[in-house]
Amino acid sequence: MKFGKWLKQQIQETLPDWRENFLSYKDLKKLVRLISSGPMIRVGATSSKAPGKAEAEFVYLLNGEIEKFNGFFMEKEEDFIIRHKELKRRIQTVIEKWGENGTHPSAEIYKHEMTKIRKDIVNFHGEMVLLINYSNINYTGLAKILKKYDKRTGGLLRSPFIQEVLRQPFFTTDLVSKLAKEIEATIDAVFPLRKPESTSTAVTRVPVAEEGIFRNTVAALMSMQEMRKGSSTVSHFSLPPLNLPDSDLPQLLQISSPITIP
Amino acid sequence: MQQLNNMKVSGAPSTPLPVRPRIFEERYLKLPDSQQVALERGLISPVAPPAPFIYNNGVVGPPFSSNSGFSTNLQYSPVAPHENQPQNSLFVSQSASNQASFPMRSSSRTVQIAAPEYSQNGKASWRNGLLDELYDFPLETLNQSNRAENRGGNMVLPSEDLDKPSNWQEWADQLIREDANWGDRLGDANVSNPEATTVKGASNFPVPQIQQSQPVLPSSGKVPVAFNPPPAANTAPVKSRMRWTQELHEAFVEAVAKLGGCERATPKGVLRLMKVEGITIYHVKSHLQKYRMAHYWPELTEGSFGRRQSPVEEMPSFNVKVLDNQSLEITEALRMQMEVQRRLHEQLEIQRKLQLQIEEQGRILQMMFEKQSGIKLQESLDDNSDPADVPAFSDSGIEASNDEDIHAIDLATSAADGVSKVPGGERYNLPPSPSKRPRLYR
Repeated sequence: MKFGKWLKQQIQETLPDWRENFLSYKDLKKLVRLISSGPMIRVGATSSKAPGKAEAEFVYLLNGEIEKFNGFFMEKEEDFIIRHKELKRRIQTVIEKWGENGTHPSAEIYKHEMTKIRKDIVNFHGEMVLLINYSNINYTGLAKILKKYDKRTGGLLRSPFIQEVLRQPFFTTDLVSKLAKEIEATIDAVFPLRKPESTSTAVTRVPVAEEGIFRNTVAALMSMQEMRKGSSTVSHFSLPPLNLPDSDLPQLLQISSPITIP
Repeated sequence: MQQLNNMKVSGAPSTPLPVRPRIFEERYLKLPDSQQVALERGLISPVAPPAPFIYNNGVVGPPFSSNSGFSTNLQYSPVAPHENQPQNSLFVSQSASNQASFPMRSSSRTVQIAAPEYSQNGKASWRNGLLDELYDFPLETLNQSNRAENRGGNMVLPSEDLDKPSNWQEWADQLIREDANWGDRLGDANVSNPEATTVKGASNFPVPQIQQSQPVLPSSGKVPVAFNPPPAANTAPVKSRMRWTQELHEAFVEAVAKLGGCERATPKGVLRLMKVEGITIYHVKSHLQKYRMAHYWPELTEGSFGRRQSPVEEMPSFNVKVLDNQSLEITEALRMQMEVQRRLHEQLEIQRKLQLQIEEQGRILQMMFEKQSGIKLQESLDDNSDPADVPAFSDSGIEASNDEDIHAIDLATSAADGVSKVPGGERYNLPPSPSKRPRLYR
């Protein structure tokens, strides 16, 4: 149930439009329970099916989920490709027009425009990273539910199935990751140099209240750390504990309870 | 084609593993010349340029070593066939279990593989007659895919089955008979997939079989062609999903520029200029829509900023300083946000690599176990048989390799056990694999 709760929390913290597109872990878990208790109970069509058919049904649902992920992922990816190019174009335009060596140099306008672009870039980067996070969460969920299935039914579904999942669009996040890295490189060009006095170590906790990309990101990072602390079912298929290099960073960001939007 | 017979995903002998997944892997391996095959079959127009669609150019190439060297060619894992098991061939879930109600959310953006009812209902409870719906799929599939292709105009497909719903039974049989051609077509469809979204749907036979094999494999993002609601949807746009790449987008942008900008450009014009095989006007249309939005969005938000700009110019110097400070704060906040995002990105990448590694090594382990059980099986057979009936393995090298392999497997096993007890950096290192290639025991 730990993962189920964790997933629920992630979904809660995530961007509102995204919530519908996550794995229906709870339902799948129910189905697995139903299937595994099937042979004993004569009630309900699921249980009266031969194990092969129950499995077929289970796989059918999983496929549907994967379809959902793929669809959402590719939509977003397409958006990102477009926006990435647009951002680059915008930066170029601003530099060429209002930059120092531009056609109409203007420190004022340059600064103004750059401020806008900076904000957009950071949010854009955030969204991309969140999409990768989305991919990861759903993959993890699938892996877990498959593991449960095999455990409960003695099946051998997990391994081949997961091999196929690895090839799915929603899991092959290379392009999005590449775009994010490009943005990370661009950021340095676009942001002014850091002033010395702002690098003080005693930074007060910054409240991160409102719903949004930043909140989502912080939540994701922190819960990822939480998730990988180790569980009772650690095996050679488990991930090692998460070691954040400067692990004080997430602690600096205090997430207050979300503002619920009716 | 005989390619399938020549392919072996793994060196492992036949095993206790269910046959189905193995078949998938085999079928699913992309053949380098599958495009050639597709051409021969007339599935792809011979003049198709190698489109930027193809993903093996590293655009979306997974960095890991995949179980099949070809998997990078595939963006979609369409459900592979498994017509070798006719008894399972048509995925007939007799279940009408309403107890397992599974709320599948219908999203207008995603194309559900679910039955049409599912995609429209908030709830997808398994119904009686799921069987019927599944039988309906091939129908719709064929209809849709054929329609799509006919629109595309570059497919050579049998269309006589289109309007004969009652023929599904024959189709089912036909599909089962089409064994040998299956994987190729599907493979072709996959490879050419990126280029020709409709080709995927076009491979008539595979598509219904995709339904069949759904039990074991995730379905392709392209398959959606099949899943639109019945005949009435023949005129509706085919919702096959296309995966855009940066190269494709470049081509798009160029085309738009040539046509005078995103305001002036029409989907038709762009489609024509892009000259990309398999892309449909609907793809272009929706992409253009998104493009326009992205293009004008900054200008939309300009308004609020624009107004603020003039006060800045007019203010006395000390107010400007205040605003400067504000923007500094904003920049600082952004910097912090960026930092967190970078961190998360980094960790996600690491996590992903680990996940891939885990699966890869798990797979290797499995192969080794299979091998070992194959050896044991062979040994027990040898014991049971008349000494005179010496099996075909007269190669004396077998003994040596047996021991070596078993040793390696033991090592791997203990490594796996060790792994679970000692979380740490050495977790994911398997012992070196046996120097001799695993033998096939048949």
